[in-house]
Amino acid sequence: MRDDNRRNQYFLVSLASVITVLLVWYACIDVLELKSQIVFPGPVKIFRTFILKLHTRSPDGATLLSHLGASLKVTMLGYLLGAAAGIPLGIAMAWNRLVDRLAKPLFDLLRPIPGIAWIPLFILLFGIGTFSKALVIFLSSFVACTVNSFTGIRQTKDVHLWVGNVFGATRNQLLFRIAVPTAIPMVFTGLRVALGASWAALVAAELLASNVGLGYMIQQSRAISRTDIIIVGMLAIGMVGAILDKILHAVEARVAKGMNVR
Amino acid sequence: MMKIRLSRGMIDVLSGAASIGCFLLLWLALTRHTGLGELIPGPDVVLAALFKGLFGKVGRHGILVHAGYSLARVLAGFAIGGAAGVVIGLSMGWSRFAEAVFQPLYRVVRPIPPIAWIPISIIWFGLGESAKVFLIFLASFANVTLNAWSGARDADRQLIGAARMLGANQRQIFLTIVLPSAVPQIFAGLQVAMSNSWATVLAAEMVRSSEGLGWMIVTGMSNNDIVQILSGIVAIGVVGFVLSVAMRKAEALLCRWNHGGR
Repeated sequence: MRDDNRRNQYFLVSLASVITVLLVWYACIDVLELKSQIVFPGPVKIFRTFILKLHTRSPDGATLLSHLGASLKVTMLGYLLGAAAGIPLGIAMAWNRLVDRLAKPLFDLLRPIPGIAWIPLFILLFGIGTFSKALVIFLSSFVACTVNSFTGIRQTKDVHLWVGNVFGATRNQLLFRIAVPTAIPMVFTGLRVALGASWAALVAAELLASNVGLGYMIQQSRAISRTDIIIVGMLAIGMVGAILDKILHAVEARVAKGMNVR
Repeated sequence: MMKIRLSRGMIDVLSGAASIGCFLLLWLALTRHTGLGELIPGPDVVLAALFKGLFGKVGRHGILVHAGYSLARVLAGFAIGGAAGVVIGLSMGWSRFAEAVFQPLYRVVRPIPPIAWIPISIIWFGLGESAKVFLIFLASFANVTLNAWSGARDADRQLIGAARMLGANQRQIFLTIVLPSAVPQIFAGLQVAMSNSWATVLAAEMVRSSEGLGWMIVTGMSNNDIVQILSGIVAIGVVGFVLSVAMRKAEALLCRWNHGGR
């Protein structure tokens, strides 16, 4: 009973906080007009723009949903390829000394460079199409996946491997039955970090050079001072990022059932 | 024992040098003898350009000055964002009321990548330094808040109960139990925040600025100068590496009590 009460109280305070912010925002912009709607649009205007942007193409040539679709397509392409390359490499580097010695130094060379820094090079070499954006996202996702899979495999307890040895497990069995399952939670951590990095890299790539996508939309709106569309775009970027993260959480709960429990 | 460890270290160094050396030789050979040379300059050209940029000028400044501009922006935003993140995160972890107030707002803002704020920061703050510092503030604030919050929330309940039983007041409990137990997490958050800030400042400089390493690679793009882009990327990687090592060293130094106690 008391717990329920507390939870309700908590919810009410949260609700009050959101409503207060919205009201203050509304009062400052729409009632008191402290800032012009062009610089800092009020909540009502943003909501209207959101509805409008769902079905109009002006001023940037596509509706909100088609921008979103274009962005998602590129992100998923680069992200999944990065994960498909990064996870096996991380596992191989942690498991095999030869791979570690040969690939690790090169990887350590690549790692401190943020994925975003490659954008100018790729645009110059491959143009502003899907390929160069996907390549930037690929690198961002690849690095995060490799690092975390590597750490995950290295966390395997020696005792567990010894037990496997005693029972006559082959090298492959040691890897796939003991080390990889141990690493799964870290692999998922890597996938989540990679997803955030990929989404941010996509926005950066679209800001710099693109002709469709959410990043393009907010950059175009800046040029014509449509702050309301910028904010709608930012909220959409944030919301989609949060939803993707939730989906990954759900997958993790399925795949890594009970593995996060220590 | 000593001898074995030494020789293993030697092998690591040698294999690292060998793998990086092979990579550079392959790069050199491919650019010298195949069609790739028309697209990408060889490593010798890039290194030469890097040295020339270190002592001469790229645009209006030398590479070191560009790096200094980028670093100054990062450090200013990082200091403000880190401080604000620690204060708000700790208060959210310490008081249920603060948590209820800030949590919903935080949940809306956090999933928006700082890079997506670039267009609106230009409208709000203009093209000067404050727009960039604002972006770095956002980049570091989000990560530090999250970690300070969970660090303070996960403080050992038994210790708090014991302290309360022995007559500690709220202030003592906060200063001697909650705060110390949150410090390691806060440092982890600061490290993530630092690498995010470094990526964000590059993106901000690529979109709009007249100096800095991000400016250097993006003007390389618009002038079709791949050598400048590649030497800029090398400089970015070096600074990124130095930043992450510095953060790790700072953590090792300031949290020494934590490593010794376990």
